[in-house]
Amino acid sequence: MIATIAAHQVLSLRRQRVFLALLATLLTMTALAGVLGWSSHHTIVRVYDEAVKLLASTGKPAPPNPFLLKPTLSLLSNMVVYIPLIGALLALILGHLSIVDDETNGTGRLVFSRQVTRTSYVLGKIASAAAVLAVVLTASLLVSVASLLVVNHTIAAGDFGRLGLFYALSWLYLMVFALIGMVTVLMTRRRSIALLSAMGAWLVITFVIPQFTSGLRPTQSLNPITDPASTSQTFFKITSTLRSYSVVEQYKQASGQILQTATAESVGQTIQRILPIAGLVIVLALVTVRLVQRHDFSRSANSE
Amino acid sequence: MNSPVIELRGLSHRYDTDPVLRDIDLTIEAGEIFGFLGHNGAGKTTAINIITTLIEPTSGTAKVCGYDVVTERRDVTRCIGYLPAEVRMYGHMTAAENLEFFAKLSGVTEPRKAVAETLDYLDCAELANKRVGSFSTGMRQRIGIAQAIVHRPKVLFLDEPTSGLDPLGVRQLRATILRLNGDLGMTVFMNTHLLSEVSKVCTTIGVLNHGELIYKDSIEETTRRFPDEASLEDIYVRMETSS
Repeated sequence: MIATIAAHQVLSLRRQRVFLALLATLLTMTALAGVLGWSSHHTIVRVYDEAVKLLASTGKPAPPNPFLLKPTLSLLSNMVVYIPLIGALLALILGHLSIVDDETNGTGRLVFSRQVTRTSYVLGKIASAAAVLAVVLTASLLVSVASLLVVNHTIAAGDFGRLGLFYALSWLYLMVFALIGMVTVLMTRRRSIALLSAMGAWLVITFVIPQFTSGLRPTQSLNPITDPASTSQTFFKITSTLRSYSVVEQYKQASGQILQTATAESVGQTIQRILPIAGLVIVLALVTVRLVQRHDFSRSANSE
Repeated sequence: MNSPVIELRGLSHRYDTDPVLRDIDLTIEAGEIFGFLGHNGAGKTTAINIITTLIEPTSGTAKVCGYDVVTERRDVTRCIGYLPAEVRMYGHMTAAENLEFFAKLSGVTEPRKAVAETLDYLDCAELANKRVGSFSTGMRQRIGIAQAIVHRPKVLFLDEPTSGLDPLGVRQLRATILRLNGDLGMTVFMNTHLLSEVSKVCTTIGVLNHGELIYKDSIEETTRRFPDEASLEDIYVRMETSS
């Protein structure tokens, strides 16, 4: 039953234009990250080549190519921004669409008048969201690999592994938003309110909390850069402590470690950054299961 | 004598503090076409929701094919088909995809074959590969009935099945209900407002008034009992006003 529900949901999502449009946007942005990386690489190398020629004509030694000092995966550092922005929106819509038809079209009444338990239903929906996100991120991984191959003509096994880890972490992070999309449908009576609530949660997680926990340092909410010099003020001490629970910041920091674009820290510290994200996924999954168990699908038709 | 297919005993339900169903006792036997009548908000849909296992009653029991709707839900759902009022199904999927999904959820072993047979039976095989979202109300209703019978249930529940249909659609639906009852032996439980249809299709009627079952008998007995009334509509109005 779980597989039947999950397969049906995957087929359904393939037909949803909104979802397909967001998927196309995410893949375009992934390619764009590669193009931006390539453009930056190309410009710097050309400037470097000109400088080498100039230095050689004056008999001076040339410094090493600056790109050789940078990690290969830094070309894709923009992905750490695109995933929380476009990827999270895609996941929200995915979660929303997973349940909203059954809620507002009345199909939930048809489903639950069959031999389907509510647990099978919700597990099928979560499994389909997980599978679809895995496919989406695999496509994004392939686009990233293609971008790296265009620039560097080769990709080291270690870099491929790091890229895989980055997308695995991104999958976990996006599951948070897919589950939020489901929870908001189950907690509200109207389709529009459900979507607005989900968008509100996305705004809070992506922008509001990081603004607060990063001590109102706006660049930190978008870029995985290292923390500026610590301050002794109580306000910043509190917000710095709360920062451990800001999933978007933990995601960006952990991604920075995986892609080697942030100041190196131990594996244990990186795992500690991932734990709040995994914890939130588990809590949201349990909440979704509980809400489906108690939800009255018999009153669900024609809500809007 | 036929065995009871639906048995309600002391069935009551309330939403928050509002009582919707009050102490309903009702028995429907195999092969009947039962018309459940009542004004808007009388509790007809709530009764169907309980019998089709969508909600649990506040008190009392409901059995379908001998199985309790709360404690033996899985057995009940195997026996029933349900067409809610104004159901839209999955609009971006084809009729066949919708039906196959519901057939699988009902445990049908060969869902594709069952879907083709059902669409043939209802003379709407041409709709199989069209998206349900583009269907008219009448076409949607035919596919709705197809999903309700794709697993050949013993009891078919129809909630306001004529709602939104044109006269031709109503006539087709009436013919379909009679065929399902005659050919496949399905017991039919139908919530409706359309008294003209009840008199043409149903063998038995029940009247619900503010959550209470105020009348239940066969159509023949009903017309015999109210000889002064010209039509079922007059009888219904008299029951409603006198209660």
